[in-house]
Amino acid sequence: MANERNEEPRYSDEQLSAFVDGELSEAECVDIDAWLLQHPEQAMRVAQWAADREALRQRFGPVVDETVPAALRASVWHRPGPPRWALAASAAGLLVAGALLGGGAVWKLQQGREAQLAAGTPQGWVQRAAYAHKLFTAEPRHFVEVKAQEEHLARWLTRRIETPVKLFDLRDQGFELVGGRLLPDGPGKSAQLMYQDSRGTRVTVYLRKPEVGAAAAFRYERQGDTGMFYWVDENCGYALVGALPRQTLLDLAEAIYRQHPDATPPGPTPAAGSVPAVPSAPAVPASAAATQG
Amino acid sequence: MSLIRNLTVQAPPAFRRQLLDAIPRLRRYARSLTFESAQADDLTQQTLVRALSHWTQFDPQRDITVWLLSIAHNAHLDGLRRDSRLTVTDPVDLQKAQDAAGGDPGVDVGLRMDLTAALLMLSPEQREPLLLVCVEQLSYAEVASVMNIPVGTVMSRVCRARAALRRFLSGEQATGAPALRRVV
Repeated sequence: MANERNEEPRYSDEQLSAFVDGELSEAECVDIDAWLLQHPEQAMRVAQWAADREALRQRFGPVVDETVPAALRASVWHRPGPPRWALAASAAGLLVAGALLGGGAVWKLQQGREAQLAAGTPQGWVQRAAYAHKLFTAEPRHFVEVKAQEEHLARWLTRRIETPVKLFDLRDQGFELVGGRLLPDGPGKSAQLMYQDSRGTRVTVYLRKPEVGAAAAFRYERQGDTGMFYWVDENCGYALVGALPRQTLLDLAEAIYRQHPDATPPGPTPAAGSVPAVPSAPAVPASAAATQG
Repeated sequence: MSLIRNLTVQAPPAFRRQLLDAIPRLRRYARSLTFESAQADDLTQQTLVRALSHWTQFDPQRDITVWLLSIAHNAHLDGLRRDSRLTVTDPVDLQKAQDAAGGDPGVDVGLRMDLTAALLMLSPEQREPLLLVCVEQLSYAEVASVMNIPVGTVMSRVCRARAALRRFLSGEQATGAPALRRVV
């Protein structure tokens, strides 16, 4: 060790700080880990920085669980600016006006589709599950909000979506739980669990509290390379989404179906306005009812 | 034709849905910048409005969160400039100002501060990258793109912010000398 005699720290604060933030290469991390073992006082500083990092995250983390004010949600759907088609029509004549009316019709159609998405129709929530899958499986860093190791994941999601969330064990199928996140689901909330196999393929399970009497059997749908199995029992709507062959997805869906929380009610927390669970027939077993969509 | 295009092309629903999904994180970031929920939601709203009017500039290959955070960053900076509370300083001056702030007689650095108070003592130039890295968990490269500064600057600002925060939290003087003065 050439610089063992050197009293100066071998690593600058900037390097140590970057180490805390996971910005260094694996080799550098190994070196620094070893160096910190020999320098307990530096190790203490680094540990405190890491604790501060966590404290900051904890301090502001709960904001993401707050209900988003309606005004903010509305501003996303709001069409900005004055109705410019009126100005344009007078300036550019009927041809343009006609084109714009066409555009307006498309817009109305899209709004109609939005209304459909907002309602609890299967097309709506299953589509949201597909969007959420595409959006978050492509996220390089923030693909989950809460990591699987965090004990409160199931409790937190259960509380937020008002229906029991179970962290399904899909290790027999080769998929490890990565974590989960809370998502808006029309007027309500939903949970997304993400799983990953050893090759980095990600599948998501979208869970939501169903509308009363919405129980539905297994269905299969495919959009491009992404396949989806979805079904609804009296406590929960499930959508399993992944860019995998149908049979692989079916195996996963069956595993989830077998593990789904018992039909016993989740406890003394009936949501306002809900009626006692309808003693409906259980969802049809996966293998029997899977239908080509 | 281009007139028609310009007038009719509104942000598509898929884009709006991405915005909707990003709101919770935008609100968190805004809250960490402003500490105050009404002000934070104003900033979030401004960000959404700007994103909708500039949606064609969004490159779908990019991470929409990083794009939105950079809009929020600019909106926040504009707000600070409007309030003329922002002083643009180079990192060395910044450090001096930081050290001076630590010795400000009006601030009791001899007492242990809570995290919020300590954060407030950081300059916006230091606070923002620290929050982006720690709370939003962005990489240094992403922070550099959000703030439009070099990655090396992100690295040094995060390091300084972190060291200053720790000093405030542990009640040390900026100089490293033990705190003698207590303001009661």
